[in-house]
Amino acid sequence: MKQLLIIALCLLLTPLVAAVGCDLNDPDGDIRRLFPESTGYKTSYRSIQREGGRALLNTIENRLGDRFSGLYETIDNPYTIYDVFSGTRKIGVIHGVNQKGRTGGIQIFLALDNNGIIKKLYLQRISSRNNRLYRAESFTNQFIGLKLEDFDRWNVARATGTGKVAAIRNPVANDPDFAAIMRGIKKNLILMKHFSQ
Amino acid sequence: MISITKIASKSLLRKRLRSILTLLGIAISSWVLISLLGFNQGYERSLDDDIDNLGFQVLLTAKGCPYEAATLMLQGGAGLRYMPDTVIDSLRSMPEVQNLTPMLMQAVFDPMVGENGTVVAYSGVDPATFPKMKSYLQFEKGTWFSDPTATEAVIGYEAAELEQREVGDLILVPEKNVELTIVGILKRSGTQDDGTIFVPYLALQSIFEVQGKLTSVGIQVGKDVDVTAFEDKLYELPDVQVVSMAQVKSTISNLVGTARVMVMSIALIAILIAMVGVVNTILMSVFERYQEIGIMKSMGATAGHIFRLIWTETVVLCLIGGLLGAAMAYGLAAVTESLIRYLLPYSPKGSLVYIDGMLMLKSIGIIIGIGVVSGLYPAWRAARIKPIEAIKKSEGEL
Repeated sequence: MKQLLIIALCLLLTPLVAAVGCDLNDPDGDIRRLFPESTGYKTSYRSIQREGGRALLNTIENRLGDRFSGLYETIDNPYTIYDVFSGTRKIGVIHGVNQKGRTGGIQIFLALDNNGIIKKLYLQRISSRNNRLYRAESFTNQFIGLKLEDFDRWNVARATGTGKVAAIRNPVANDPDFAAIMRGIKKNLILMKHFSQ
Repeated sequence: MISITKIASKSLLRKRLRSILTLLGIAISSWVLISLLGFNQGYERSLDDDIDNLGFQVLLTAKGCPYEAATLMLQGGAGLRYMPDTVIDSLRSMPEVQNLTPMLMQAVFDPMVGENGTVVAYSGVDPATFPKMKSYLQFEKGTWFSDPTATEAVIGYEAAELEQREVGDLILVPEKNVELTIVGILKRSGTQDDGTIFVPYLALQSIFEVQGKLTSVGIQVGKDVDVTAFEDKLYELPDVQVVSMAQVKSTISNLVGTARVMVMSIALIAILIAMVGVVNTILMSVFERYQEIGIMKSMGATAGHIFRLIWTETVVLCLIGGLLGAAMAYGLAAVTESLIRYLLPYSPKGSLVYIDGMLMLKSIGIIIGIGVVSGLYPAWRAARIKPIEAIKKSEGEL
């Protein structure tokens, strides 16, 4: 009896425990900063589990070129999506992901227009001693105008690529957090492609 | 010949709804009683386990508030005062000291953690002595520090999981701009160590520029040592405070003592209510069966037979109610525990509600005892019914 009840409680509580999403710390301020013309936003939550399950996870992993692993890359991980509006017109979307870095988790937010093109890259959290270099506009502005198709030419496992993405300069030579950020951005773009369908 | 137990059971079944409601009252009271007794038992055990897991019997800290010291030991956190590390030499010269381990807690604000940043604590430990005292700590990956002064870290399971940290990764100490290399990740221990970042205390002294300072020293004493007398001896050292595990246990027990008294009072009230309910139910039953009891007596039933019949009904009700309550207490122990954990100011890591077979037997015994006492009066009144009067009247006055 006790075991049954414990199992039932665990099942009830599992979604809460597993819910390790990536939200903006200050949505009102952050959204105004990322989309200065915005007048409002709507928040929604998605998960791979709900949108397509194991088949979708396989599709995402194949396009990413790497397997999902760890606490923040589970099939039921909730993803917060901020649909941004100017009046009644949707002008874009903001979405963040957690990505393992060398000094802990990195929180990578992308502000995308309605065509999935990057308008801004925002690293909400990066604990590296080089965090200022990665958060500097000289680094983040390199991603403006890029889209998922550009990242298809980036191999996340080898951290090498061709085309526009290969031209992005690593602000810290040989620092593994650069590869982590690139992987996080590609993951973010792939997820957004599927969540916006 | 039909037995008294069978007659009693039939009588209870005749008024099913009333019997079920009375049973529920008794069952709920039993549930509360067993859960609270289980809490008393479980809390003590978990507190003992938490204190055993600290690995030492006495903690020496710089002079300050005892609650701060207790918090430091059980919850971690920054040491508020320092003492010189020369205290180690003084302690080593004491014959009572079997082992000791110097410790230095430091905390720094990390703006990158959480929504608005948070204070991250680092526990400086001595790689030569600390692992021996915390023998329950096992590694998931890696090992302890390569050098007593290395800028390395060993992290608890949760600290690793939440930050997706692996052996070889770095931890940046904010404000100090120092990177610690992770050399070991501990297995989950169910203690505060799961969320702790351990660093060699000499390295931590250097990083935070507190050379020659400690926040505490954990002391293991010999088995035959009189801890109270040893504590008095430690107080001869300048500007130190001694916190023994017995003190910590007593401090925490006092903190939750009021809450425990309150819940026990509630249990007592629940039992009293159940008792009154039982007496009322049985008296009503006797009242309704006034004529029937008279007929039974006129057919040869003695006052003793009637007394036993009514008394048995009460005991049967309490036995079934007690068993039902025990099953509820056992089955819902996890729910009870989470409720208690929410209410208490401090709760140890282990199981707070510990219900074993002996506790259930004792509690059912208490409930049956209550039934025995509660049944006395109605049974006595029923036994005194006069058959002629009872047959004349359809209902009695009790």
